[in-house]
Amino acid sequence: MAHKWGLVVDLDRCTGCEACVVACHAENNVPTAGADQAARGRAKHWIRVERYWEGDFPNPKIRFQPVLCQQCDEAPCEPVCPTYASYHTPEGLNAQVYNRCIGTRFCANACPYNVRFFNYYNPQWDKPLNLQLNPDVSVRTVGIMEKCTFCTQRIKAAEIQAEAEKRELKDGEFTTACAQSCPSKALVFGDLDDPTSQVAQLSSSNRGTKLLGELGTKPNVTYLERGTWENATHG
Amino acid sequence: MTMERRDFIKISALSGALATLGGCRSAEKQLIRFVPEEELIPGIATWKPSVCTLCSAGCGLQVRVMQGEAEVVRRGQQGLIKMGLAKKLEGNPQHPVNQGKLCARGQAGLQVLYNPDRITQPIKRTGPRGSGEFQPISWDDAQKELLSHLTALKSANGANSLAFLSRPLSGQRHELIERFLHAYGAPPAIWYEPFDEAVLREANLLSFGHARLPTFDLARADYVISFGADFLGAWNSPVAQSIGYGEMRQGRPGRRAKFVQVESRMSQTGANADEWIACRPGTEGAFALGIAHVILSEKLAPQGAGSRAGALISGWSAGLPDYTPEAVEKQTGVPAAVIKRLAHELTQNGLAAALVGGAPLAESNGAFTALAVNALESLVDTGHGSAPLLSFTPDPPVETSGSPAGESHTGIRALVSAPPQLLLLYDANPVFAAPPGLQVRDALAKIPTIVSFGSFIDETSAQADLILPDHAPLESWLDSVPESGSSRAVVSLAPPAVLPLHDTKPMPDVLLGAAHQLGGDVAKALPWSTYDAMLRAAYVPLRTHGGSIDAKTDDDFWDAIQAQGGWWGAVAPAQPAAPEKQAPITAPEVAAASGDYPFYFLPYPSQAFGDGSLANLPWLQELPDVLTSAMWSSWVEINPKTADRLGIKHGDLVEIASPQAKVQAAAILSPGIAPDMVAMPAGQGHENFGRFASGRGVNPLSILEPRSVGDSGALAWASTRVKLARVAGPEQAKLVLFAGGMSGFPHEPEPR
Amino acid sequence: MRIPLGWQKWLLLIAAGAFAWALVKIVLPAPGLHASSQSSYVTTGVFTPAHPDAYAAIKDFLDIHPEHPVQPIAYTHTVHLAKGLPCTFCHVGVDQGPEARIPGVNVCMSCHQSIATDKPEIKKIAAYKARGEEIPWVRVYNYSDSAHVRFNHAPHIRAGVDCATCHSDLTKQTTAERKVNLNMGFCLNCHTQKKVSVDCETCHY
Repeated sequence: MAHKWGLVVDLDRCTGCEACVVACHAENNVPTAGADQAARGRAKHWIRVERYWEGDFPNPKIRFQPVLCQQCDEAPCEPVCPTYASYHTPEGLNAQVYNRCIGTRFCANACPYNVRFFNYYNPQWDKPLNLQLNPDVSVRTVGIMEKCTFCTQRIKAAEIQAEAEKRELKDGEFTTACAQSCPSKALVFGDLDDPTSQVAQLSSSNRGTKLLGELGTKPNVTYLERGTWENATHG
Repeated sequence: MTMERRDFIKISALSGALATLGGCRSAEKQLIRFVPEEELIPGIATWKPSVCTLCSAGCGLQVRVMQGEAEVVRRGQQGLIKMGLAKKLEGNPQHPVNQGKLCARGQAGLQVLYNPDRITQPIKRTGPRGSGEFQPISWDDAQKELLSHLTALKSANGANSLAFLSRPLSGQRHELIERFLHAYGAPPAIWYEPFDEAVLREANLLSFGHARLPTFDLARADYVISFGADFLGAWNSPVAQSIGYGEMRQGRPGRRAKFVQVESRMSQTGANADEWIACRPGTEGAFALGIAHVILSEKLAPQGAGSRAGALISGWSAGLPDYTPEAVEKQTGVPAAVIKRLAHELTQNGLAAALVGGAPLAESNGAFTALAVNALESLVDTGHGSAPLLSFTPDPPVETSGSPAGESHTGIRALVSAPPQLLLLYDANPVFAAPPGLQVRDALAKIPTIVSFGSFIDETSAQADLILPDHAPLESWLDSVPESGSSRAVVSLAPPAVLPLHDTKPMPDVLLGAAHQLGGDVAKALPWSTYDAMLRAAYVPLRTHGGSIDAKTDDDFWDAIQAQGGWWGAVAPAQPAAPEKQAPITAPEVAAASGDYPFYFLPYPSQAFGDGSLANLPWLQELPDVLTSAMWSSWVEINPKTADRLGIKHGDLVEIASPQAKVQAAAILSPGIAPDMVAMPAGQGHENFGRFASGRGVNPLSILEPRSVGDSGALAWASTRVKLARVAGPEQAKLVLFAGGMSGFPHEPEPR
Repeated sequence: MRIPLGWQKWLLLIAAGAFAWALVKIVLPAPGLHASSQSSYVTTGVFTPAHPDAYAAIKDFLDIHPEHPVQPIAYTHTVHLAKGLPCTFCHVGVDQGPEARIPGVNVCMSCHQSIATDKPEIKKIAAYKARGEEIPWVRVYNYSDSAHVRFNHAPHIRAGVDCATCHSDLTKQTTAERKVNLNMGFCLNCHTQKKVSVDCETCHY
């Protein structure tokens, strides 16, 4: 059965705790920039939690919004890559092929979500922090663009396992690092082509929107709007 | 003269080739590869249970272990060895507290194990105290020296001059240390944490009969009002509370709980509130009682609700006449109409709960505030036919010596006023976190011998004479008994997930070894040679108590508890009980901010570092603070109108001065803070805590007044008042933001 | 182009060499694996995926590897395979996970603590084990780091691909040698024939 991977971000459940951010770093060998490089804008957070303030004291309002690669069906980063390093896989992922990347950074320029991160220098880990590196994920070198892959290594491991056991993948059998860690279950990952999957059902919620959907990027990430208090009893 | 193109090309090629040869180095000295100490199939992960120790919530972990190659020292020789390495931490899906989930700090636990600044072997001080000059010594010598200090002290009749200062521990580690001290003849241990919850525990004992942190079943809630408790951030059991929060919002189709947060500075938790109410600092108790007044006078709650906890508040039985909405409006600044509306909402929307924690309990009137909110909680959380949302995690039926945890700052004051002859230190850092006014650093200088078991040099352990470094948590036998976050009794227990990387020894084993050598009562009290033997003796009796493990023999049980990551009992939450009769309490006044020090000062436990003990983990340093996006920095949150008045622009270097001391940091203009308050995250400002934390930022705890909450001895860390002034421009302030260009917040600078 | 001759030529040569050397040092810095300082009680040293020097970078890029790698023990696949040992007897895990790996000295000694103990090569193995040392085998099968390719043995073994397909007939080899050119074309040929995924991200992620 073909799969189409998608994610739902429930903004009513998200608490802004950023467990997803650290989980992603741990899973995907995302390098730590350090204070100096971070000051130059080179910190990499494949998923980040944005916050939007409105109003003034004593009635300020703030909204949290986790942002990651939207794995767009009409990804603006794909047509601009001269070496076809950024391309769309049959399972709906926007893949980044590290060995093809020559570092033009056109893709980051084209991306409206600002979710692509460039390796301006070879990353370093003070030993023995490198012992934590995940052997299932490449360690990117200088000149390579990187971004969220929907934990493609976990997708592949699950698919290979299912194939070995001669069965279909089950919804919830595996998930991305960010969704696995999220305490309030704001992130839900799964197969959009499986109508019984949780992600497919949540994606069709009437609270669902797409980030910058008006640009026509057709993201595979659906954001569920944060609720408001209606001053009424509930049933 | 000229040359032909070909010659030029030849010369360039030659010089290029010579350059690359210049890059050639003689082959690096080949490191030998040791035979592995465990059999692992490369490329295949095994998952092992463990316990998270980065905060006191006690969540259960599972650790992804895969074979990798590590540089180690074996038999004095450097080399490489293939061993199981911890690659990823996840929550243990079976654990009742965190149910498979894990917070940002827990995820960073891997960087404790593989931290480059971990002490790799026993060391002995060679230079003056605090100079950082240590020399490695062997474990034999180190343990002999520890024993000689202990023996000498005992034979000189100085047993009561032994002190043990540690971060709070539960389970058998707590037991081991307390039994050792008791049998030795020393006073009980000092369990120190900077933001401890002694005030809340005491209040819960008075209001509900349980001296412990509360457990709220938020998943069933319809209405939650929190007075200052950062329950989605760093307070109490954040993962368990966040799980419940997610469910109360979107876990029940057609039913969404309302959440109201009352505080003076918008916290990460407060950002999620449907309604955020700013209340004058120190008046949260009055606010709660104003709501209670309306409920009582309009009879919105069932007859007799809240009367037990309410009896602790003077005037409750008369309907709280001093707390009319109009009177409370004057005190708190919250409009009377809001107080009345909340009273109706709390009682007319299903299951409700009132929480209290954080800064309101760290003001000088914190004890009263806790009792007031507890009274409101018992008034509104009546369960409506089912169980109330508030309960208390029951104790597992495990034999303990029953010594209650002392309050942190009382213990520190005792240590300072009567410095012991021998101080044993484990992962507590009062030199950094306690107010300088308590004079901890000077007191340590008076202690003749200090021995540390911690894994890192920090401001306190830098004063040690001898360091016997513990294993990292993932290398250790771990157990903990969570105080809250579950409706079942929980014992978390796990064997080591990975073999030790360095030449360290488990602290419990070192103490057990010393106990055995000391002989007499101490050896009798602790008749085990290794910690896992002690754990087995303590927990195997749980087999006959049912719960999550069904085993026929003790051996089977012991295997099962290790495989599961612990034992948990049947669901049996301890309900709020009838408290002892106490004299009703009236509200003490809180000193306002005025005169020379016109700002309330709020040093809050930070999202990344908690109380500062996690500042040496690079993932957490680089984690953008969710409200400001700041990384690797300290900052001061200032109301924009206040900043305008004082000529402070976003990013400027400002100085915060209390009567005790002052610090300087970058200003961040925030609409989420009251105009007469400034706030700073705690955790940075270490002078000596490894390469990632040292010399970075400033420590807001260093300007705190050493004032107590009432008579309790707990530190009133929210009671300091400060003055504020601009010092210099942004180039001096060195604020690092991740999201320079994220739009929406009008006060952020334009992207570069 | 007017380029000077005489002493200016040598000046130009030295300047060009110095510039190129400086460029190499800047672009490809950083030490690789090396012995850390023993006197410190914290860990020193840095791990980086960068090549240690330009020479290593060029070797990696051009896939320069020794044709007949010299191994510390004169191991013969011929002898062991002739005795009927399956590949998986020593290369454990190849049907479960990504790696085949060279077996450790414990695997050798599991038989050779009693078999052929008088042979000099076996004595060498026993000596390594006695010292607690692994045999320092030279790795033969590798992908270049810059390919960022993640090969996974298990699906191939499960699909019935014979070890000899990629590793050539080891019944005719003593120590392993790369007789099959494992370039991407080789992989794609088989994948196309067997109608298995040729999507880039299958292997490059």
